[in-house]
Amino acid sequence: MRLLSEQDHDDALLQRAAKGDEEAFLLLYRGHQAALFRFASHMTGSFWAAEEIVQDVFMTLMREPKKYDSARGTMGAYLFGIARNRVRKHLERLPREVPLDAGNQDEASRTTAAINSVTPAHWAEQQQRIEQVRAAVLGLPAEFRETVVMCELQELSYEEAAQLIGCPIGTIRSRLHRGRALLLAKLEMLRDEPRRCSARG
Amino acid sequence: MAKMTCEDFAVFGLERKRKHALLSVADATRQAAALEHMNRCPRCAALEQSWRAAQIELQALRAATQAAETPSRVEMRLRLQFRTKHHTLKMRRAAVAIAWTVAAAAVLASVMSWQKWRSAKLESVPHVARDVPTKSSPVNASVGPSHTNTIAVVKKSAKHDAPPAAGEAGEFTLLPGSLPQDTDDAAVVRVRLQRGTLVALGLPVSEDRAGDWIQVDLLVGEDGQPRAYHLAR
Repeated sequence: MRLLSEQDHDDALLQRAAKGDEEAFLLLYRGHQAALFRFASHMTGSFWAAEEIVQDVFMTLMREPKKYDSARGTMGAYLFGIARNRVRKHLERLPREVPLDAGNQDEASRTTAAINSVTPAHWAEQQQRIEQVRAAVLGLPAEFRETVVMCELQELSYEEAAQLIGCPIGTIRSRLHRGRALLLAKLEMLRDEPRRCSARG
Repeated sequence: MAKMTCEDFAVFGLERKRKHALLSVADATRQAAALEHMNRCPRCAALEQSWRAAQIELQALRAATQAAETPSRVEMRLRLQFRTKHHTLKMRRAAVAIAWTVAAAAVLASVMSWQKWRSAKLESVPHVARDVPTKSSPVNASVGPSHTNTIAVVKKSAKHDAPPAAGEAGEFTLLPGSLPQDTDDAAVVRVRLQRGTLVALGLPVSEDRAGDWIQVDLLVGEDGQPRAYHLAR
């Protein structure tokens, strides 16, 4: 999470951007895009969707910079809030969409996974485990997934997660507890799946 | 130190190694209780172990996506959109400014042309008709010491409206000693005076009507001296 002085810096950048300073807008974008992209990709499981969501977030900021109120929270929290809404909308319409880019997406995730593999076999095994974890996270209900992504993958504190989601810390704890339990069960299931398949075969 | 139950352990026990969990004394106490509970309960110890394994896998996923960033094409698109938006805004502001300037110029031009038209119209009206006598206007015509009466002064150049000579229209009669060419740049001054004052201009006046008030149009030369007169009815 960004520090308070960075918030002032972000506020100043936003003010400049609102007046038409392109460089200030780009600095804001570069400062926040990666975290938002990771959050969106973990939540949607799609790099394309994450890309679209990040673009939407910054388009909103560009169109309505005055909607951001520094008294209500940090710029990061504000952008996360927009990203959360976009993710929710994406997940709501997800069943109606047919992904056409599965191949590309796999390619993208492989490129992103810069793993220091000792051997190709090890790399493949590790890759498989990562995909299993990714699938397990994606299999969680949205509200638990959100908490797991924020606290376990984005490494936010409970306070920060509570601030971003807009709920008490206790809710975060309980969601995380449920999310963990579900995640463990899913991981167990995914681990056992190849064994079951081989036993059947 | 209160003992921790299995339910409590599932909620609080698993976060004991979290980076952000070491926050307060209460947390430290809770962690100690969780550790104690884990040593006593094999089920919770197994849960803790499997969660640690899951955390390692989550860590691997996190590491795999740590370098993930929005593709540069998004930045390009946003940059383009930003330029379009602000360029359009600037253009719109400029258009508004230009529109207001043109409107202001049009209003100014209308006012000026109206004023010009109005003054031209006023000049085209015969000046004699505008000679309305008013008592409030001071007269500066030096007709004589007793001429304290107030009248309207008509400034009219003889170039535009040449005063009629004595013999011409019969309107103005040259005063004794004046020549017709003296009236070239003369102005018409309407005065209200007592008939007896006309004696000062060299005109004959019957004594019994000397006290009457009459209106006289005087043709006053550039030197302020009356050149001709006309008795208004």
